[in-house]
Amino acid sequence: MNGQYASLLVALPLISAFFVPLIKGLGGRAIKYYLTLITALQAGVAAWVFKTVYTTGKPIIVMAGGWRPPVGIDLYIGHFAALFVLIVALVSFFMAIFSFDSVSTEPTDKYAMLFLLLMLGATGMIATGDIFNLFVFMEITSITAYALTAYNKTGEAAEAAMKYIVLGGIGSSFFLIGITLIYGSTGTLNMAQLAQLAGSINPTVIKVGLSLLVFGLAVEAELFPLNAWAPDAYQAAPHPVTAMFSAFVVKAGLYALARLVYLFSHAAGWDFILKLLVIMATLTVFAAEFSALRQRDVKRMIAYSSISQVGLIALALSVGSQLGVQAGVFHMINHAVVKTLLFLTVGYVGVKVGGTGIENFSGLGRKMPLTAFALTVGALAAVGIPLFNIFWSKVWIIIASIEQGYAWEAGVVLAASVVEAVYYLRLIHTMWFGGWDGMRIRESLPLGTIALFLVLLILAIGVYPNPFWTLAKSAGTDIFNVSRYIANVPLMGVGP
Amino acid sequence: MSVPHIGLYYFGALSLVLVGIYGVLVKKNLLKILISLSIVETGVNLLLISVGYITGRSAPILSEGIGPKQAVDPIPQALVLTAIVIGVATTAMALSVAITLYEKYGTLNIEEIRRLRG
Repeated sequence: MNGQYASLLVALPLISAFFVPLIKGLGGRAIKYYLTLITALQAGVAAWVFKTVYTTGKPIIVMAGGWRPPVGIDLYIGHFAALFVLIVALVSFFMAIFSFDSVSTEPTDKYAMLFLLLMLGATGMIATGDIFNLFVFMEITSITAYALTAYNKTGEAAEAAMKYIVLGGIGSSFFLIGITLIYGSTGTLNMAQLAQLAGSINPTVIKVGLSLLVFGLAVEAELFPLNAWAPDAYQAAPHPVTAMFSAFVVKAGLYALARLVYLFSHAAGWDFILKLLVIMATLTVFAAEFSALRQRDVKRMIAYSSISQVGLIALALSVGSQLGVQAGVFHMINHAVVKTLLFLTVGYVGVKVGGTGIENFSGLGRKMPLTAFALTVGALAAVGIPLFNIFWSKVWIIIASIEQGYAWEAGVVLAASVVEAVYYLRLIHTMWFGGWDGMRIRESLPLGTIALFLVLLILAIGVYPNPFWTLAKSAGTDIFNVSRYIANVPLMGVGP
Repeated sequence: MSVPHIGLYYFGALSLVLVGIYGVLVKKNLLKILISLSIVETGVNLLLISVGYITGRSAPILSEGIGPKQAVDPIPQALVLTAIVIGVATTAMALSVAITLYEKYGTLNIEEIRRLRG
């Protein structure tokens, strides 16, 4: 099949989102079946793209309207994008199924529409090859994310959404100023051509422009000074949306950050950006871990844990070596799996027991054994116990940072793991040894299947990390190796 | 037509951005914060337009006497159109959230809207 069909990745959710009002007449359940169907189709397309990219070893370049870049906008679906578009689609599919049980606030048709647009935005951010197109997809993602955060219509939800809007608005303005500066000094918006011209840009413009881009993306990527919205939004949003935020919205931001930073790796003044990122990432890890320690609400605690893991990913990405980027990508995959499982199970407890405070988890091991088991596996994996998946990515992050002479970064990873162990073990202790009120709750079959699938995936990566590490290595090389990126994009009229 | 030096445009646009950021950081009323956000967006749009300006040329609309050689760079103008639409969407979203906030808390003072913390 022609590679141009990969544009369906963006077209399918966009078209289907606007067909939702037609389905509305068939009733609320019909909308949720429709949502599941579309996300399943998207997963099918993404699986086809993944297979094509990994068997041919060549990226798919989709040229919008048949115009060659840099005149036309291109989608660049390389090894990284193919892998993460698949993760986005699969997580959305799982969360569409979870929405049956957990989303009952009307209007569900608006929910389905926003859900599909959020998936579209994250897919677009990962796939695009044009810096302004990236801005547009980022705005689609964040505006739908604001709306979904406020979806529950409680005061808390509106408060969280407002914090997100103000920070997101500032961030997107910074991002646009960054684009302006870089466009003003190169005259192009195409990422491949920007990378070609990177060496000729004035170092001050690179420093200021790229810092502004980094600050703009830091809102989506939840890095330290601009992540104050994240725990509130995670706590207030509907449960499936929280899982989507943690599993791929933040990943799209991190990817865009890494892609832009490494595009300019030949530019003068680039080291400054890496130092900035290292500082932001380290502060993210510490601030989030210590906030997580004192939470009484489990969903909020896992939100902080998610932010600190994101800090570790950013730390790995900012080491500046190929191994570091690969370790960061591996951690991204593991984090997506583990946090989907944790937010799925915690959200399910919230729906069935009626709250996500730590007291609701008391005696969960006997109340909902399957959910408690899945939650325990997820918690142990997040700490980084051997035989679980995150252990391997933390090991690779430590190896990568020591190799580049940043021994203290290895210390940051280890210290974060110790703090994580404290609060996750507290949760596990409450679940299995806390007082039990004698109630048994029947667990739903589809959600149990998804949870068990994710548990098996965690154990599979933990026991046989090599196939997944190979995946992560080729995806990481796709980000790090800029000259190959330039060579893969057929630029019209410029270069060889 | 004589126009001021291009640096003046940059200066004006960036001062709008700074005025807006000051408003977001200092004001206590939610509506004033949202207005400040719009001011930041306007400043950025003006900056983007002035980056594409070429001295002595006219707007990039294909008409009699205006060819590609007589017009300014059209790309920033296309970008600004997109950015304006995005800004409108953000503002509309923010205002609808502000309505919900006022219904639930009975105030728009951000110091009193503080149920989520820690």
